[in-house]
Amino acid sequence: MTTVLSPDPSPVRTVPRRPEPLPAPAVVSALERIVDPARVLHSEAERTPFESDGLTAFRARPHAVILVETAQEIVDLVRWCHATGTPYVARGSGTSLSGGSMPVHQGVVLALNRMNRILEIQPDDRICRVEPGVINLRVSQAVQSHGLYYAPDPSSQAICTIGGNVAFNSGGAHCLKYGMTSNHVLGMTCVLPTGEVETFGRDSLEGLGPDLPGLFVGSEGRFGVALDITLRLLPKVPMYKTVLAAYSSLTDAGDAVSQVVASGLLPGAIEIMDRLSIRAAEVSVNAGYPEGAAAILIVELEGEPEQVAADYLRLSAVLRQSGAYEIREARSEAERTQIWKGRKSAFSAVGRLSPDFIVQDGVVPRSRLGEALQIIERLSAQYDIRVANVFHAGDGNLHPLILFDGREEGALHRAEELAGEILHMCIDMGGSITGEHGVGMEKRDYLPAMYQGPDLQLLHNLRAAIDPMGVANLGKMLLEDVPDSSTQTRSASLPANYPAPSQDRIRDWQARIPTLDRILIVGQGGKTAVDTQPEATRLSTGELSGVIEYDPMEYTITAFAGTPVAELQELLAAENQYLPFCPPQAQGATLGGTLACGLSGEGRIRFGGIRDFILGVRFLDGEGQLLYSGGRVVKNAAGFDIAKLLVGSLGSLAMMLEVTFKVFPRPQTHGTLIGRVAHPQAAVELMSRIGKGPFEISGLCMLPEDGGCTVYARLAGTPDVMPERLHRLGAYLAADTQAREDDGDLWRGLDEWSSLPGEAVWRVPITPSRIPALEERLRSSSLRRRYGMGGNLLWLSGEPAAPVTEILNPLGLAGLALQGAQSPAIVGRYPMTTLLARVKRVLDPNARFVSPFPFAGPATS
Amino acid sequence: MKHAIELTQGPPAVEEMATAISNCVHCGFCLPVCPTYHVMGEELDSPRGRIFLMKEALENQLPVAEVMPYVDRCLGCMACVTACPSGVEYGELLSPFRAMAEEEERLETDRFGPLRRRMALETLPYPRRLRWALALSQWTRPLHGAVPRGLRPLTNLAPRRIPRTEALPPVLAPVGEVRARVALLTGCAQSVLAPDLNWATARILQCNGVEVVPTAQVCCGALDMHAGRAEHARAHALALCEALPTDVDAILTNAAGCGSGMHEYPLLFKDAPGAERARQVASKTQDVSRFLAQLGDLVPLRLPEPLRVAYHDACHLQHAQKVAGEPRALLEQVEGLTLVELGDEGFCCGSAGIYNVEHPEAAAELGQLKAQAVVDSQADVLATGNIGCLTQVGLHLQNLGSSIPVQHTMQVLARGLPASTDR
Repeated sequence: MTTVLSPDPSPVRTVPRRPEPLPAPAVVSALERIVDPARVLHSEAERTPFESDGLTAFRARPHAVILVETAQEIVDLVRWCHATGTPYVARGSGTSLSGGSMPVHQGVVLALNRMNRILEIQPDDRICRVEPGVINLRVSQAVQSHGLYYAPDPSSQAICTIGGNVAFNSGGAHCLKYGMTSNHVLGMTCVLPTGEVETFGRDSLEGLGPDLPGLFVGSEGRFGVALDITLRLLPKVPMYKTVLAAYSSLTDAGDAVSQVVASGLLPGAIEIMDRLSIRAAEVSVNAGYPEGAAAILIVELEGEPEQVAADYLRLSAVLRQSGAYEIREARSEAERTQIWKGRKSAFSAVGRLSPDFIVQDGVVPRSRLGEALQIIERLSAQYDIRVANVFHAGDGNLHPLILFDGREEGALHRAEELAGEILHMCIDMGGSITGEHGVGMEKRDYLPAMYQGPDLQLLHNLRAAIDPMGVANLGKMLLEDVPDSSTQTRSASLPANYPAPSQDRIRDWQARIPTLDRILIVGQGGKTAVDTQPEATRLSTGELSGVIEYDPMEYTITAFAGTPVAELQELLAAENQYLPFCPPQAQGATLGGTLACGLSGEGRIRFGGIRDFILGVRFLDGEGQLLYSGGRVVKNAAGFDIAKLLVGSLGSLAMMLEVTFKVFPRPQTHGTLIGRVAHPQAAVELMSRIGKGPFEISGLCMLPEDGGCTVYARLAGTPDVMPERLHRLGAYLAADTQAREDDGDLWRGLDEWSSLPGEAVWRVPITPSRIPALEERLRSSSLRRRYGMGGNLLWLSGEPAAPVTEILNPLGLAGLALQGAQSPAIVGRYPMTTLLARVKRVLDPNARFVSPFPFAGPATS
Repeated sequence: MKHAIELTQGPPAVEEMATAISNCVHCGFCLPVCPTYHVMGEELDSPRGRIFLMKEALENQLPVAEVMPYVDRCLGCMACVTACPSGVEYGELLSPFRAMAEEEERLETDRFGPLRRRMALETLPYPRRLRWALALSQWTRPLHGAVPRGLRPLTNLAPRRIPRTEALPPVLAPVGEVRARVALLTGCAQSVLAPDLNWATARILQCNGVEVVPTAQVCCGALDMHAGRAEHARAHALALCEALPTDVDAILTNAAGCGSGMHEYPLLFKDAPGAERARQVASKTQDVSRFLAQLGDLVPLRLPEPLRVAYHDACHLQHAQKVAGEPRALLEQVEGLTLVELGDEGFCCGSAGIYNVEHPEAAAELGQLKAQAVVDSQADVLATGNIGCLTQVGLHLQNLGSSIPVQHTMQVLARGLPASTDR
């Protein structure tokens, strides 16, 4: 096989060199040699029901469907597909709403729904490992006896599979607070489209190196098939309060969302349903929604009972002022279930109103929801096509359901036209064409409206480098015929809102980069251990500083990569917002440097880490080409997630210029409970009990000291209920604890990495269950330790020459040195992967950007 | 879902069938509740897959014979109907489709399949034939090894002991003030296999002031209907309609399959003679538990000693007739009775008309799952509302070595009657 990667840095033309497709009988007989012939479906009747997924407007009949039962079979089948150039589609339950699991004509379908084993549950580490065919809801059911659950909740969670969720970065009603699938997937073992089996990420909340799980999730199957997936679990929500507010106009409901957000509350979910979808849901499940409403708003508060009660008072005041004519709350779990059942059945329920429909999932900035809904209403009237609206309002994630009758001449075409206008509206408003369903078959015509020129070419180049034969979920996300690169500008122009000196600076870098052999990218240069390449030319993004765009209502902020974290947090604080992963601010840390090192602070345990809050990034590649990936809205599932990929990349793949983060309302106050235990094992047990308990913990760390360990557990919320909550946590632990209400100074110490002069600092991702064994090895050393994020990250400091690698290796751990130039930047073993090597060859084909990663790894096959 | 079915030709119920297909949006919400999807793990054996296949057949894109193996394997439990957000009336597609396919040639993989099916359908609805068949199976039990393996699923279901039969009198008078007058379908197979069940039903009704008029032992046609034998079904149904009195407040059934079948009469008799009377009968038909729950103000019942009772939802009650809360409410009113829920997925037990005769392997897997759930519930008694479930779950409990008895809800209630009213 030849690779289509060109040594020429100009945009690569991606023409899959697939041989002539094999005829059906040849495909079937070959497959029957790989798996039990009884599980190779090939008759007309056997193949027909696989023609469509949740989007029946598209159909294609594959040559065969294979009912796969083991990971090895998947590997064997993918290798065969690669060798013969036969396109394959991996399919779970076939519920994609974007045609993401639609078969390829003359290809094969790998049906993975029998791969439904939960392989491992580690309650103390709050993770579990599952096969791709495991149904989403089954995960929560399997772990509930441990007090845990799996947060992402697509409406189809009773049937959609984790494999499909991973491929399409599925969302759900509770993304506002907890993020999408990507935020809950820690690692996976995959088979690449070329047949290599590789593991990305691992079992810790924190990672090392470029965030490959982040890149893989949402890649729409184009980077291979996940064989097993490690999921992050959350403690079960102690209490829900689900509130229904009825409005006499849809626009009022849309505007109410902004008012809820402006109040500083962070509900678990904010949903809107309009008249048409209310009607369908009522007929379907008798949800008991207020009668006659033009729209209802569903707001769900969740958390500890005291905090929920306090938040509810604030919420009802806001809703009353927003013009709701009726406000009611679910008085029992049964009522809550019924409210959500209605909401989650709404898509299918419109089947009662219309034989066919298209559902879109474009995203608009939240503050423009009301306006967007008016435009949709106008379009609906103009096209004389009914549109039902039911959507994740908190995220600005629309779900217009465009109703039509496919039997009418031209009806589908007109519905698609209307859908297209809505998508363009989303793009024009600065949003995204898809928040959670993915591009799939359905929206691939619109991806070029969102990413143009080199940005789109980059997606194609990545696909071509990773799947040179073009067999993996062929046709999804990307149209195979790439716009001719010769007609495109060599490089996108710089945004007009960049100040002139910044523009000059960037142009200078663009000109210099292609002339340099070895480039080291630094921010303020505070992380001295990473800076181990004295002969490299240093380019400092620290020269590019300042906020570019900040709209507190949107929960997003865009700033130059060289902006100091401290400066950004200060600006956010003025609007009562913050970066919830609490990045360390030591040594003048910049956003770019923090992102490149993948650094989060103690807030990580609550809402997620830096990887979960990065939304978009503008950067220069290894040839100085200006590129953009991601978006400026809180939810976006279009294209490959290159912004996440760059987290932890240490400047090895790209030079970041501008970053966009999601931000949250800042808690009014914090409180901490401090407990002392005798030894590390007891400390881990205590952290595990706290972590699985009915609390909303915002910080959890442990310090081993002489003669015992100290555990710190932090709560965030409003001052009125903090004493009660601290008291309840203390009573739950039934241990000797001490409460501190004003804990700012305490956590500034615990959140930061710091070192004494001449000392080194290492950051080591770990899992709580490994801590006792590691402590055993470290007991006699002079190294100081702090276990943060509930035992998921070890901060190690001390003598730079300490044999850290020797200590970490036997436990399978690896870390990053931040301070102390004598230490190698990577301590312990970092496994190089084919996937990363291929990504590197696309982003930096001439390997100009230096880094500690061993890129001279396996080459493209 | 879009379809290209020609509505002007085809079977009488083609419109209903097309409507069911058109309402389906292919969302897959029916998959997790489908017992055959659970057991077989493939799209083809799911409601969504079957709807797609039936659509293709009705569009003449696929031969009916190729589609039938999957349609045949459907239990007809209707769990998908309960789960469906789009309101697909799957039953209105399935029964007419089976009837349509009955005319066509089948692809049989099991050579004893047609014989077992025929034997079941020609025996079960006829009490005299059934009694003879059961007696025969008793006498030949020592020769069990000589029965061809392919026929054993049938003989395995025969009870070891045939209960003594005492027919109900033509009218059973109410105790105290007359609150209602009802006809009671005594059933065909049920009157032979579990005659006590009808007696218990009658006694509960009598004690609550209801005058009971038992029907003659005729079949309602549900077995044939659900097996696609529309002609046979109509013949049975006509005979029953004839036999039923018209001067009653309600026609009660205590077998879920019969009640559900009788509610389907309007579709069965579409464009056929007798449609009007069939519609009347259907509209008056009610499960006995729903009737009692609606009657209200029932006589207090008290158990001689405390009992843990688990309740198993018969699919044709829960899904086809939406009767699930009523039997539980009735049981909970009994003093000394603790109602426990089964901890399983709520799947069908595998009985499903003559499914356990036609598809013994899948039926056995489901039967075992259900029996295990009953054992795990640590109940003293399992209550249910259908003779088929009674036999199937009873058999699989026996196979597990459990002695937990399976009784009809009315039998469990009758345990709480004062001894003086006991027969």
